[in-house]
Amino acid sequence: MSRPLALAAALAFALCGLYPIAVMAARVGPADLAGLLDARTLALLGRTLGYGLSVALLALALGGPFGFLVARTDMPAARLLRPLGIVPLFLPPMLIAMTWTVLLDLRGALVAIGISALSTFPLVALFTARAFERIDGRLEDAARLWGGLRAVLRADLGLVAPPALCGACLAFAFTVNDFSVPDYVSWVGPKFNVYADEVFAAWKIDSQPGRAVALALPLVALTLLTLLPALALRRRGAMASLDSDFRGPQPLRLGPWRWPAALFCGLLLAAGCAVPLLRLIYEAGGGSRGFAPARWSGAFSRALELARGDLQNSLLYALAAATLALPLGLVLGHALERARRGRYLEPLALLPIAVPAVLFGIGMIAAWNRPGLERFYDGGGLVVLLLVGRFVAFPVLLIAGAVAMLDPALEDAARLAGAAPARRLLSIVAPPLRTALLGSWVLVFVLSLRELDATILVPAANHTAMFRVFNAVHFGRDDFVAALALMLVFLILLPGTLWALFARRRLEVLP
Amino acid sequence: MSSAVLCERVEVHVAAQRLVGPLDLEVARGEHLLLCGPSGCGKTTLLRTIAGLVPPSAGRILIQGQPVAEGLRELVPPQRRGIGFLFQGGALWPHMSVRRTLDFVLAHAGLARAERALRRAELLEWVELAGYEERMPGTLSGGEAQRLALARALAGRPRLLLLDEPLGPLDAELRGALLQRLGRLHAELDLTVIHVTHDPQEARGIATREVRMRAGVLEGAR
Repeated sequence: MSRPLALAAALAFALCGLYPIAVMAARVGPADLAGLLDARTLALLGRTLGYGLSVALLALALGGPFGFLVARTDMPAARLLRPLGIVPLFLPPMLIAMTWTVLLDLRGALVAIGISALSTFPLVALFTARAFERIDGRLEDAARLWGGLRAVLRADLGLVAPPALCGACLAFAFTVNDFSVPDYVSWVGPKFNVYADEVFAAWKIDSQPGRAVALALPLVALTLLTLLPALALRRRGAMASLDSDFRGPQPLRLGPWRWPAALFCGLLLAAGCAVPLLRLIYEAGGGSRGFAPARWSGAFSRALELARGDLQNSLLYALAAATLALPLGLVLGHALERARRGRYLEPLALLPIAVPAVLFGIGMIAAWNRPGLERFYDGGGLVVLLLVGRFVAFPVLLIAGAVAMLDPALEDAARLAGAAPARRLLSIVAPPLRTALLGSWVLVFVLSLRELDATILVPAANHTAMFRVFNAVHFGRDDFVAALALMLVFLILLPGTLWALFARRRLEVLP
Repeated sequence: MSSAVLCERVEVHVAAQRLVGPLDLEVARGEHLLLCGPSGCGKTTLLRTIAGLVPPSAGRILIQGQPVAEGLRELVPPQRRGIGFLFQGGALWPHMSVRRTLDFVLAHAGLARAERALRRAELLEWVELAGYEERMPGTLSGGEAQRLALARALAGRPRLLLLDEPLGPLDAELRGALLQRLGRLHAELDLTVIHVTHDPQEARGIATREVRMRAGVLEGAR
């Protein structure tokens, strides 16, 4: 790895990902830390922990079987259901919440847990599916000879459990830092206060930035305590199931369980994406005030007229963030994996996603709201910087995982041939990882489009489609919200749909 | 006349564990040295250290009389040591055709486009892969892939050829053919060869000397 290149990338990462956190940390005074762990805060932390664990367990219970069924069985429509399985993760969780709080009379913690689990089960499904297809067919053949399908599943469990748990850990981390679902659930029913809410309130209502950071510290610790084992589990999962002389496994026959399995997966996708999307379509056509397909064009025209600029901004920011995060992710991910002590830097790479999104946004404001920087602060550049800083951890970690599977001798051979480090990165490392690179790009693009929690306080991000939806929801403009949300969903799903239609290979989000 | 490779009190540590050394090794020019020993004894690490892919933690390495590494200090980078390396398993670039694989090395050796084509044809002739230019590594048989790896190792006109278990993935017939080819090239190109293997029987016919390695050190005299 070229030292100047790695240093430049590390500097860029420090500027967009670590600087806002450092600025906020510097504002914590002794007074902010006083009474940090009082009875109220501890109760809130306990509730958040319970909320996160419940979501993680439910996501594991739903995503584990889903991942297994779509990746490794002869279930009908498995090939179609597999790519669709990621859609609930890509949809803004608030859109799922908007549907199920209307359709069901459930309120409070239960509905928040259900909605967050529907939104995060694809994380478990992704890891489980990938782990299942990496199991050498010969291992399964040996187990099958010994005791049939049951023995195969028992033998597989040890190999699949670490990655599945890794997915559950990520679901936990996503949930405890999420602000939009508890906020929305609290808005439509009894207050369901979680820790991220408290951090937001300390800044927005009490105007105490130091206190907001101090309050976030237990949550950061909790998230890091979850993410670090998740990374270790991911590594163990990959190591346990990969071999150079690999033979792909055969689909497992479910017999009479084929159709019930397909029904389970179909219902899960219906709950996670089809019903929310159908409800949006219904609302855009007038909804309970009198549904008529003819009203769609009116709702879409109005949404386009009022929010054209917001949609354009969202698209532009997401494109720029994904495109900038990719080279940064490639250089840092490679350095993280290949440098002698690179793995010790993983916690640092994780920090921007371990910090509550609201706090990261506040950090951006604190870091860049300075005299002389007004034009940058009020412009789209700050939003792009925020999105890159917040989400670059994903390409870094995904690419590091993909590099780990690349034989280092490939790079050694190029080095002996005289190829410079940058050339090795572009000509030897990047081409075999192209689907992982594209998957990383799509992930940052999608996360940027649906981002709300970190950008909600940043003035320059007030002109994005997601912020417009969030605002309009609170003013009860259902057809406008639905039409705008559908347009946003269209943009979110566009890269994956284009890939599915025109590419010959499957798009891989995981290495 | 100076030796092709000289290792003086070389040691290699990884995370406080000594993998190699301290050892002394001298390889004369034109020699075909067979370095054998059980799996995990440090043969590959020694080869990678000579190539400059792993830094020695102590000792000195000279290639063609020129010091290339002294302790952790790299005096000559790997690509300027005049080394060809045949990696265990081939380590062929999976996304490059036969033509692109060789052109990649030849371009870095500073050859102009026209020269590259001539040299590529010569290399493919040597390893009997003429006509395979557009094939991808994944479509080659085990023997063909290993011959391409050999052509790549020879592309930069090395004076020293390092072979890491070159016959590992091949069956008996292909092993014989590749050994014959190696023997011929060794003589024709005036190469010095260090040939690492866990099975000394495989290349005794073409080796000029054999040394055994055990637990990171050489057995007997250097």
